[in-house]
Parts: sequence; structure tokens; C-alpha cells
Amino acid sequence: MENVLSILFCLSLFYVSVTSRVKAYVTVLRVQGIILSVLLMIPFIYKFSIFGIILPATLLLVKVYLIPRYINKVILDLDIKRRIEPTIQQMVFLPIVIATMVIIFLASSILSKSTELDVIPFASGFSAIVIGIYIIMSRKKLIVHVCGFLIMENGIFLFGTAVASELPMMIELGTLLDIFVVVFLMGIALNKISSTFEGFEVTHLGRLKD
Amino acid sequence: MDLEILQGIISIIIILGVAPLFAGMVNKQKAVLTGRVGAPILQPYYELQRLIKKETINASGSSFISRISPLINLVTLIIAAAMLPVGFWKPLISFDGDIILFAYILGLVRFFQILAAMDIGSSFEGMGAAREATFALFAEPIFFFTIGSISFISGFTSLYDIYHSIQLTNISYEVFIIICSISVFMLAVTECSRMPVDDPNTHLELTMIHEVMILDNSGIDLFLYQYSSYVKLFIYAILEVSFFYPFSKQSYLIGIIIFITGAIALTFLLGVVETITSRYRMKNIPQYLLFATAIGILNLLIYTFTK
Repeated sequence: MENVLSILFCLSLFYVSVTSRVKAYVTVLRVQGIILSVLLMIPFIYKFSIFGIILPATLLLVKVYLIPRYINKVILDLDIKRRIEPTIQQMVFLPIVIATMVIIFLASSILSKSTELDVIPFASGFSAIVIGIYIIMSRKKLIVHVCGFLIMENGIFLFGTAVASELPMMIELGTLLDIFVVVFLMGIALNKISSTFEGFEVTHLGRLKD
Repeated sequence: MDLEILQGIISIIIILGVAPLFAGMVNKQKAVLTGRVGAPILQPYYELQRLIKKETINASGSSFISRISPLINLVTLIIAAAMLPVGFWKPLISFDGDIILFAYILGLVRFFQILAAMDIGSSFEGMGAAREATFALFAEPIFFFTIGSISFISGFTSLYDIYHSIQLTNISYEVFIIICSISVFMLAVTECSRMPVDDPNTHLELTMIHEVMILDNSGIDLFLYQYSSYVKLFIYAILEVSFFYPFSKQSYLIGIIIFITGAIALTFLLGVVETITSRYRMKNIPQYLLFATAIGILNLLIYTFTK
């Protein structure tokens, strides 16, 4: 079951690397949030405990409801255009993503021989981290950078479930709070930038001096 | 043995007879979903009948290529059709490695169509040929990565054996098959020039791919081209429907019923996809095709490392 969810996660990564709409990024974040919370709920199907359900429920609230809603609000408020404006062509971006994924899968299958880990969740999480970095590197819009950062964070989450069977709940909850605060601050920063500059692109930031 | 040959011959007759009906059903579904009454389901037959009565005129500058190309189109497609398990029956031509023959026979069809379009010497047809060649370049890996990955996992190299090795034993294999079928669907949409890639209804030269290549044909030539495009659509439909094999193991009758239901469901799916999507811009199409290839590669990776 974990493998199936990881495959869906990988497909969402492919989608994010071909799409050219900002709204699609938010949708992908929602889908990934749902996938991750279902993944966390799997162990509690067999032995139900209220304590164990807190983390998936919080994840669902933060990643599927609060953060995408907030990003959508920022997009609406700042009147951000729907194109993502990549710095390299989408047509080149996808082969790079595929090549990276192949390398990561090969590397993690070699790793799995010496250590105990589930290859597919591990490799999908790892690819999400790398693709998040790629997205941050190759897009002009700041709001897309936030989405890339969140995809990276989702990757770390999946990566964690593959390495350790159960992470301490407090750590996970703390991370979630951090993420939410970061996105919140990012929104405030974008608002401030918008009052000084016309657009919300990285290219404008090159002119900043202290 | 004799029964198998008989089944193979019946399969080809079914493909040749039902192909226009399938296209008609897709068009009808599309019309109904967009709120029109639409042409009758048998409209493709009427159009073929109309075309066969007309006089054939060839362009004055064209050579023998454009005369033989329509016939080669239909004949090669019939050979390709003879390799497919219609109704999950054993096909007429089936041997180890026939997936490669299948892929390249479809490639031959495309090659002759491109040659014939270039032969006429019209600049529009040249443009259509260039587009067809470009998109074919991206469409071919989809076939090899999806069908090839199932072949790689099952260890068979014949289409019939590959489809008959599909089992619903573990969940990751099921997901693998579902993802493969999505990929094959995208391939079918591309190869048969359906909506997100090419709009079969527009007759504006700048947006056409497949239609522009047969602009200068008439009469029996156009009949052969149209008929082979219906056969091609049905061939890809069979490729897709054959994924339902595991549900039809009990008897021949259940197999046939499932096959027919699957085909009807596929017309519905094609109709829905063509209704809700608009045609992509030309520069976005390679990206769409590459996405399908990426799915194939992911499939291969995932199944290799789960074992």
C-alpha cells in the first residue's frame, strides 16, 4: 500500500514538472498532503488509537486546508498572473527530472542492499526533495518558490517514513508548525515586496542593495 | 489448432467491420456531451460509401508513391490488426518478439503517409508531414516503455502472451497495470489524432496534423485513408481494452461481454476527454508526450525495485 501511495506521489511530481499554471501547484500540494496523511493513517487501520490519529488529522488540516488556502489568498490578493514563468524550458526540465529520478532510484536500490529501508518511498521522497530544489532554481515567481519549498518538505516527510517506521510525534507536529509559520511569513514578505516593487519575480530582487 | 485460425480470421473480420462503428460511437458521445444531437452512429459507413463512388484525381506533379501509399496504409494496418487479441482470442499472427514488428508496422504506415504528403509538393502537406514526423518521434518511446515494461516484467515478448500474463495478484502490480493503461490511452490519443493533440474536426490548415496530409486525395484514395484511420483507432482501442483480461478468465462468453463493455466504456472515455479538454498549442504537445514516456519510465523503475 505504501508503494502505491509513493507511485501516486511520483506521478504528482511529474505533473508539477510539466504544468505551467500556478494554481496547479497548489492543487498538487493538496494532493500530496492527502497522500501523506493517508500514508500516516495506514498503521492505525489495524490497531486504532486516538493518540495516533492526531498527527494525520493535523497534517490534513495544515497541508490540505490551511496552507493551500493561504497561498490561494496570497495569489488573489497580490493579483499574481497564472503563468509560472520558468527560466529554463519546460521541455528541458522534464528530461532532467526523469534522469534525476532514474539516478535516485538506482542509488537507493544500491543503498537498500546494505541498510534496512523501503526503496520506493525512500526514492520518491528523495526525488521530491531534489525536484523541489530544481523548482526553486528554475522558476521566476516567488510564490512558486514557496510551493517548491513545500514540495521539498513533503519529500522530507515521505523520506522520514521510509527510514524510520515511526518518527516521534512531537517532532512531526513541531515541523508542521514551523512550515505553517514559514509560509505565513513568506506571505507577509510577499505583501511587503508588492508594496515596493511592481512584480513578484526573482529578477527584480537582483537590484536590491543594502 | 483449426479453431485458433478460425478465431484469428473472425478477429480480423470483426476489426474491419466494427472499426467505423467505433469511430461513429466516439463522435456520437462527443456530440451528446456537448449538447448536440450529432450525426448518426453509422455516419462513418455512409461517408465511406459516398467516397467510394467518387472519382479519384491525383495531383499532376505526384509520382507512384502517392498512388500506392493509401493501399499500403490499409494493408499494413490489417497486418497489425492480425496480431491483436480481439475478444482475448489467440490472434492470427503471434510469435515471440512480435511487439517490435507491431510497433514498426505502425511506423511503416506513418512513413508512407509522410512520403505521400511530401510527394504531392503542396507546402501545407509538407508542414503536416513535418508535424507528424516530430510528434511520432515522441510517441514511439511511449509504446516501448509501457508495453515494453510489461514485457520486461512478464518475460514474454509477444502481444498475446504479454496481455495474458496480466494477473491481479498483488496490489503494486495492479497499480502498475493501471498506470500502463493510462500511458497507452495517451498514446492512442496521439496516434489517432484525437483531441488534446489534434482536433479532427477543424479544417484550418494551421492547426491540423493528420487531416492536412490527406487534403489532396479524393475518391478511392481518400476512402482508403479514412478507412485506415478508423481501423487505427480501433487497433489502439483493442490495445487498451485488452488490459481487462484478468476479469475474463472463466469462459469465452464472459470474455466477449467484457471486451464489448470495455470498448463501449472507452468510447465514453474518449468522448469525455475530448469534451473537457481543448487542443494543446503545438509547442506544448511534445511535453504532453514526454509526460507519458515519463510514466512508462517510472513504471519500469518501480516494478524493477519492488521485486
